[in-house]
Amino acid sequence: MRIEARDLGRTSGGHRILRGVSLDLGGAGVFTVIGPNGAGKTTLLRALALLDKPSAGEILYDGRAASGLSAREKTALRRRMGFVFQHPLLLNGTVIANMRFALKARGRTGAEDAIGRELAALGLAAKRDLDVRLLSGGEKQRLQLARAMVLEPEVLFADEPTANLDPLSARTIEDRLRRMAEAGRTVILTTHNMLQARLFGDRALFLKDGGIVQQGTALQVLERPATLDVAYFSPLTNVVRGRLVHEGGAAILEAGAARIQVVTDAADGPAAAVLRPEDIIVSREPVRSSARNRLAGKVAAVDDLGMIVALRVECGDLSLRVTITRQSLEELGIRPGEDVLLTFKASAVLVFPVS
Amino acid sequence: MDYFLEGLRQALHIFVPPSRELLSIVGLSLLVSGAATLLAAAIGAPLGLWLSVAEFRGRRFLIWLVQTALSIPAVLIGLVVYILVSRRGLLGFMGLLFTPGAMILAQALLATPIIAALTLAALKGQAREARDLAYSLGASRGRMLGTIVRQGRFAFLTAMITGFSRVIGETGMTLMVGGNIKGATRVMTTAISLETMKGNFEIGLALGIVLLVVALLVNAVLQACQGK
Repeated sequence: MRIEARDLGRTSGGHRILRGVSLDLGGAGVFTVIGPNGAGKTTLLRALALLDKPSAGEILYDGRAASGLSAREKTALRRRMGFVFQHPLLLNGTVIANMRFALKARGRTGAEDAIGRELAALGLAAKRDLDVRLLSGGEKQRLQLARAMVLEPEVLFADEPTANLDPLSARTIEDRLRRMAEAGRTVILTTHNMLQARLFGDRALFLKDGGIVQQGTALQVLERPATLDVAYFSPLTNVVRGRLVHEGGAAILEAGAARIQVVTDAADGPAAAVLRPEDIIVSREPVRSSARNRLAGKVAAVDDLGMIVALRVECGDLSLRVTITRQSLEELGIRPGEDVLLTFKASAVLVFPVS
Repeated sequence: MDYFLEGLRQALHIFVPPSRELLSIVGLSLLVSGAATLLAAAIGAPLGLWLSVAEFRGRRFLIWLVQTALSIPAVLIGLVVYILVSRRGLLGFMGLLFTPGAMILAQALLATPIIAALTLAALKGQAREARDLAYSLGASRGRMLGTIVRQGRFAFLTAMITGFSRVIGETGMTLMVGGNIKGATRVMTTAISLETMKGNFEIGLALGIVLLVVALLVNAVLQACQGK
């Protein structure tokens, strides 16, 4: 099913929660809505899922405007969609009763095989006769997903389905969502975890104060943030605040004693530079290269992230995060307190004017 | 103290065997208040349910009215019902004044806002969640409401029992519109009031004990429900 939103807005209790949101989604894949708390992610999902009426704009389902639909037609549309709420909404009773309720809500019975399959897929097979009050938070969320999935929705909305969950539950849920997308269906997910957005890889949208800040592939949003707000959302990303000046055809960001050459159209004045930790080359000796920036620094901390390692390097007034592979770390024999050189291209630095 | 104990002793004597008059008073009390509660629930419970889920202009205003109705003195309801059912009143043709019908009407008016407000308060959070749950699973509107009622059934029961407790203990208003006619509209509270004024404490105490027992039973049911 194709869902288009045109200039969507919602006001609640005198507050504008959503404004001017236009998007077009459908087809196979995971669509991630990223944004800070209070950005309007939940409100957007609820409107798209026909749970709340927007106060402005229009939503089209396969080209048909929602505002012109009868209650019966809306019910028919809702039956092609599923919703996983951030705080699991479960019926009082057992796990199996919740699964059966989902089918009964549509006047269906039976499908015990499908129920069993879905419970097994989410690791709940052994819990089927348990009262839902005895489930852990992760199990409740998995049950909510299983209940939505047994109805085989074309589009699934999942509102921060893995927030505050144990890693196993989060992984189980992520796997199930990915399998759904691979089966040619649409998953619309909210998160404030940029890495989760990249994990699913597909399209992403960044929401702030109820409006869309950036839309594109998850990778674009992560690597080419459109604003400083988006950049701040990328884990480990370096944000350097300073002053932009132009000298002899080159743009320089001055941050304390450090001078970073950048490529930008922005005018001189206060600015922030965003530099991704994987775009920085760490070396012992100076490397001859086309990269315009070279900073000398001291390794302040080494954080093991598994396959990669995050370093914190103090370069005078600057403290930069750098990620390198474990192999590089071992080859260079880097330990805290040692001197290293950081090299990065001027074009790797994104500059945002700040007021 | 002796005086009280003597009254109590005599009161207990009234129960063995219970006089026909006592039985008719207790029976009428339960009948009138039970009918009034059912009538009030028929209006108040759907009203509370509707106010808890619906989104429309004027919802807050209606909630304000219901909350205000909670604090209308019973005696004022008695007055209005009296005027309504008296021979020249709007409902005068029905000849309800000084009949159990008038008492049921007045008690129902008293209990309706109680049931509506308590239903609303209990369902306010629950109803929206049940609505979201049902709609997200693709339920029709009818089934959605069924889900709310199912999830909130104890809330309805609690509201009804509270309404019943309020009206079965009501005196002044019931006296005004019922008239406390022996064998016709005499209920426990009006009888206690009359017998006390006549100095027949033992009958008053006996009826008081019945009222207490009713209250205990009703609240035992309530507690059993909430313990669920």
